[in-house]
Amino acid sequence: MKPRPSGSQERGFTLIEMLASLGIFLLVSGAAFTLLTSSQQRYRTESEVLTSFQEARLGLDQMVRDINDAGFPPPTFANADPAKVTTAPFGWSPNYTIPAPCQIGTGGGGTCITPTDFDIIIETEPNPNDLACAPNCSVEWIRYQLQGTTLMRAVARKQASHDPAVDTAQAGFVPFVQNVVNNSPTLQVGQFQLEAAYPLVFAGGEAVPIFQYICDTPSVPQNPPQPCPLAGPDNAPTNIRDVAITLIVAAPLPDATTGRPRLVQLEGRGRRVNPNQ
Amino acid sequence: MKGRRRTRKRQKENGIALLIAIFILLLIGVAAIALVVSSGAESALAGNYRSSTSVYYAAVAGLEEVRARLRPTDPNSFTNTAPGFLPPPGTLGDCNPIYVTNPIGGVAITPWVQGSDYSDTQFIQEHGDACAGAGPPSPSPTAPSLWNLNPLKSLAFPGPLYKWVRINGVSEKSLNLDVDADGRADSIAPLYFDNANRVFSNNPGVGPQALELTALAVLPNRTQKLLQYLVAPTPLNLTLPAALTLDGNNVQFTVPNSANFQVSGTDQGSVGSCNPGAVAVTAVGYTNSSDASRTNILNAIQANLTGNYTPTPPPPPTPPPPNVNLVSFSSSLGCPRCSLTTVGGVNALVQAITQSADVVIQGPATQSSMPSAMSASHPMTIVVNGNLTFADWHSTGYGLLLVTGDFTFDPGASWDGIVLVIGTGNLYSAQSGNGQFLGAVFLARTLDASRNPLPPGSPPVSPYFDFTPASGSNGVYYSSCWVQVAQPASTYKVLSFHEISQ
Repeated sequence: MKPRPSGSQERGFTLIEMLASLGIFLLVSGAAFTLLTSSQQRYRTESEVLTSFQEARLGLDQMVRDINDAGFPPPTFANADPAKVTTAPFGWSPNYTIPAPCQIGTGGGGTCITPTDFDIIIETEPNPNDLACAPNCSVEWIRYQLQGTTLMRAVARKQASHDPAVDTAQAGFVPFVQNVVNNSPTLQVGQFQLEAAYPLVFAGGEAVPIFQYICDTPSVPQNPPQPCPLAGPDNAPTNIRDVAITLIVAAPLPDATTGRPRLVQLEGRGRRVNPNQ
Repeated sequence: MKGRRRTRKRQKENGIALLIAIFILLLIGVAAIALVVSSGAESALAGNYRSSTSVYYAAVAGLEEVRARLRPTDPNSFTNTAPGFLPPPGTLGDCNPIYVTNPIGGVAITPWVQGSDYSDTQFIQEHGDACAGAGPPSPSPTAPSLWNLNPLKSLAFPGPLYKWVRINGVSEKSLNLDVDADGRADSIAPLYFDNANRVFSNNPGVGPQALELTALAVLPNRTQKLLQYLVAPTPLNLTLPAALTLDGNNVQFTVPNSANFQVSGTDQGSVGSCNPGAVAVTAVGYTNSSDASRTNILNAIQANLTGNYTPTPPPPPTPPPPNVNLVSFSSSLGCPRCSLTTVGGVNALVQAITQSADVVIQGPATQSSMPSAMSASHPMTIVVNGNLTFADWHSTGYGLLLVTGDFTFDPGASWDGIVLVIGTGNLYSAQSGNGQFLGAVFLARTLDASRNPLPPGSPPVSPYFDFTPASGSNGVYYSSCWVQVAQPASTYKVLSFHEISQ
């Protein structure tokens, strides 16, 4: 005889069981989705920080390379065309065409319009063997200038008796590194001010120079190089030996979990090797 | 019955707990992987920058090593460590490069073999068809780097990771520079550097040959860089117009009352095969005829000792006048910027000498700071940054001595060669003794009363030759041989530098 199926063991769920299990399921899946959302936000923030980091690294690398090469070829490569040799490793304004040097300052001091804390013009022939221009490659003025929160780059061919600041501006700037906040300690990012969020980075609420210049001291040659604004009679763009670069880049959006702006700070140093005369 | 029990058991194991657990694990796993990927990429980016910087400095290390070893007086010069490696000066061909190799771990480095691990592809790019369109000769002469020679070879850690440094002459073709003004940069004749006019020339008579140094550095992660120097030796050819030259306005002058103290512009003193015979120079020279310089000097000389400042013109009147004259400087100095009539020019001379110095001593220094290797057969270029005091030193120094502070001299000592006191321009002595200067002495003050630098364009001021009346010393005697022997060895100056993009 076929055994009778056991009704008590094959019956469906009771309403109570259903409600309880549904409740538990909702709780668990709610927790899971909360975790997922938070992970997504974290991932988005991190990838933005990473993108900023990457842009800043590439920018810093390029700037250091340009500064290392500043002043190539030097004036000893005498050539009938002055556009084929550098006059000095770094361009300046005003009085480049006279030529008379200006004084480099910091925090708005000095008489130079460029070079300054946020502006530099490098005079070099970046790639003399470039097939696109060889054998008539010209010396170029490469300018980095912070405009708002974008570090811009401009390149102009050197021309005799021209002002590099004017020529590079006419040639046009292109965005080089975005969201550079060195000069924006009070910039609103999210609900925070950078200065309040990063008091150590922006000490005293002051801007952080991107470019800091170390000058040779030909007037007292036995002295080691020192910061240009302190170099007295040697404070001139032609004496620049080292350029210390500090790049502070903010991620486009504040941290999704804390709401704080996310900053990346990078340091680099370019050293001129070419002679300046 | 048995089958039913098994069915019941399976039903009890039904549920979604496992699924939920797997789902949560999956979420956590994804988050963890994202984090790992993110931090991995971040460190990779930082690593790239570090690699780029490391490889740059590795290549610079190679260039600097070779630049130093080209100098014959360097202890590790090629002349000492690899005889025969360097061809005679001026004969290194553009198409016949030589290589300094730096193999690490026994890896063979053969840059001339195209397609080898560290082959020199840049040579063909640079020379085009000038060298028959071919690469460097196979094999080219090589010398090991210092890191492959004792004592550095036995160090437990590796040296800089450059692979090779190529040394070759340069030509119009390799520099892409029209030197002979024929409108084309096509010649492969070697170029020479005219140090006075700071231009290149095809004429070997204008100066030494310009050399090109190219370094390849490769890191284990294959990051690589090619850097290039153009260098040329820059001999200084320092000549002075007087036995004792006081450069600047309103010189101050005090000399001993002793009859032993003489200043002679007559050439004397043999060194090796060099014998005196050069035209006599002024005994005491000053540079400004319209101020109190001449008066100050003459007033300091006792009337009965005027004959101690020689040579006097024949026939000498009685008493003979001291040989004190206005002097000007030779323009043949191998340092075009070093015009000795301006503070900036004198400072440029300090810079040029410091760059070629064998020893740079931070002052205050004494005779015990003088290098023990200094001898008559091995004169040295010594720079003292600050004050130098000789006290109770009864010995002789040899070579070029540059003091940028006050130089307190002990006349018990002697110096054979050139003595320059530039900065405070103060040479002081109050002791007795029978020592002397044999060669030439030059004083220039480039600092104001507060010891701050004067403007570069202004003339030097008030050098002070301050040998007190009671002090001793036999004086200053001009010697063209010692001036010649004491010249600083020429360094290979960097004429240009750039990174070759690859």
